[in-house]
Amino acid sequence: MKIIKDKVAKLSFVALLITMTAAMFYAPTASAHGEKSQAAFMRMRTIHWFDLNWSKEEVPVNETMTISGKFLVFAGWPETVDKPEVSFLNIGIPGPVFIRAGSWIGGQLVPRSVSLELGEVYEFKVLLKARRPGDWHVHSMMNVQGGGPIIGPGKWVTITGSMSEFVNPVTTLTGQTINLETYALDNVYFWHAVWFAIAFAWLLFWIKRPLFVPRHIAVSTGKADSLISAGDKKVGMLFAVGTMVIVAASMGATNEKYPVTTPLQAGLLRGMKTYQMPEATVSVKVDDATYRVPGRAMQMTLTITNNGDSAVRLGEFNTAGVRFLDPAVHEDETAYPDDLLAEEGLTVSDNSPLAPGETRTVEVTASDAAWEVYRLADLIYDPDSRFAGLLFFWDENGNRQLVTVDAPLIPTFI
Amino acid sequence: MSASQSAVRSRAEAVQVSRTFDWMILFTLFTAVLGGYHIHYMLTGGDWDFWTDWKDRRLWVTVAPIVSITFPAAVQACLWWRYRLPIGATLSVVALMVGEWINRYMNFWGWTYFPVNICFPSNLLPGAIVLDVILMLGNSMTLTAVLGGLAYGLLFYPGNWPVIAPLHVPVEYNGMMMTLADLQGYHYVRTGTPEYIRMVEKGTLRTFGKDVAPVSAFFSGFVSIIIYFLWHFFGRWFAKTDFIADDAS
Repeated sequence: MKIIKDKVAKLSFVALLITMTAAMFYAPTASAHGEKSQAAFMRMRTIHWFDLNWSKEEVPVNETMTISGKFLVFAGWPETVDKPEVSFLNIGIPGPVFIRAGSWIGGQLVPRSVSLELGEVYEFKVLLKARRPGDWHVHSMMNVQGGGPIIGPGKWVTITGSMSEFVNPVTTLTGQTINLETYALDNVYFWHAVWFAIAFAWLLFWIKRPLFVPRHIAVSTGKADSLISAGDKKVGMLFAVGTMVIVAASMGATNEKYPVTTPLQAGLLRGMKTYQMPEATVSVKVDDATYRVPGRAMQMTLTITNNGDSAVRLGEFNTAGVRFLDPAVHEDETAYPDDLLAEEGLTVSDNSPLAPGETRTVEVTASDAAWEVYRLADLIYDPDSRFAGLLFFWDENGNRQLVTVDAPLIPTFI
Repeated sequence: MSASQSAVRSRAEAVQVSRTFDWMILFTLFTAVLGGYHIHYMLTGGDWDFWTDWKDRRLWVTVAPIVSITFPAAVQACLWWRYRLPIGATLSVVALMVGEWINRYMNFWGWTYFPVNICFPSNLLPGAIVLDVILMLGNSMTLTAVLGGLAYGLLFYPGNWPVIAPLHVPVEYNGMMMTLADLQGYHYVRTGTPEYIRMVEKGTLRTFGKDVAPVSAFFSGFVSIIIYFLWHFFGRWFAKTDFIADDAS
């Protein structure tokens, strides 16, 4: 019986080892950025990205593409997230598959952090240069100090070619043109090799002689002093003095070779130029809003008043980058990512043109699997169960206006 | 063979076994220190050591020696007081830097394709060698802490300057001046490391103009003295034989 038990134990152990080893060989590429895991209320009530455009879907190595668009810093920013007083316009990509050749907010280069104002719309552009071949999910993204990364919509972009052909030429203020991809690499390897060689020489000097057992016996029997000879001390002196001489000499030589150096640059850019959207003449009051869990649909009762001089219709509801459209009013022509686009996802109980001066109460339903796929339904489990988003209205001349909505959301489970 | 008989039958065999023990212990010590020290340094020094656009004149110079003198002090305590081996600091730092180079090359470059010229580790070796020599010559923990700790802090910046200086050459980029290191940080996208996380050139040390690095290095050296004492005692405590013998020494 014991033999059988031992065999079972052994075989179980072998099976465990095989399983673990097999698991190591299966390491698929991570291609997402946790955008679906981020708390839904954060995606719905912080930065609203819209009018996004990815200039290319396929780009060869060394060629560039842009992501451009606008973002609204939501006025109803949640209390549980720090305000975007220190923010950084970033890009959500799996490592430097592109390099960020430039990024602008309101036309100003933003290599540094910026301060953003609640309730304002900003226009942005990011210039990317393709570096590593593959299919990459490229997101707009805003990092907020104390709030974390707020990731925007992502689109798959393919980079073709070979990374070995990638170059990153930069001309310094001293007039030298360098390839930043490999610049100073030999220098890094050289100095580290030099110091490793010196350190290994010091270690070798000691470990070539008997080490632990005899030395421990000597120390234990009060003969520790005999273990360090006068010759050892001389060699030690040589290493110490040599080290300091090399450090001083190499620093001097470096200063001669690079007479012009500057400290790292840092700072916060304030007063970013905002984008002025056309004045909204439509006002919207949310009477109630419910999320029907089994139907993956959000229903809002809205009282809409048209204070303008042209009839309007509701064409789009945009929240967390997911766009619900009423195709009778507006169709997307920007090749927006399919998974974020519900082309027929917006239903309005009465979407006939709302005449100037008219007020109407309508039932608006935004339904699509995206509620589930993008885990926006998880809003009901968030600490601040409110929804928010952008409503886009179009008038008879095709002019668009933006109205924000922000209200409590009640889930229904039956 | 009874329990009272020796496992070796000649002096030559005893020497051979002793050397085998040496290599086994050395290998174990090296890898254990590599793992422990590496985790410690990544948690405390972290980004200051990862990225060239973090290696500034103030905080990098101050933080890196303070948080890295820890294991050298502890391993010195064990190797010197037990074996009179003045290699504790160098061994620790070599282990750390071997681990760092494996990490930077295999992970930063091999997995995520950050060029090595943006993510190479800081050079801590000059300070470590001097720390070992001072312990050997002085045979004193106090002297090593005061002189060695100070030297460890002071040697850090000049020991790294030949490596980082080329990356501090200025460049004009779309109407803004930045160093090549800044430009690396901007170009090579780090999704989880936004610009504002960088702790560079922060603080109130403004009365020394551009010559702030030596002041930071002195401050780092002073704090390194205290940290050396602390970790030297940790090392002594860990090197006790209470765990394996009744007649603990």
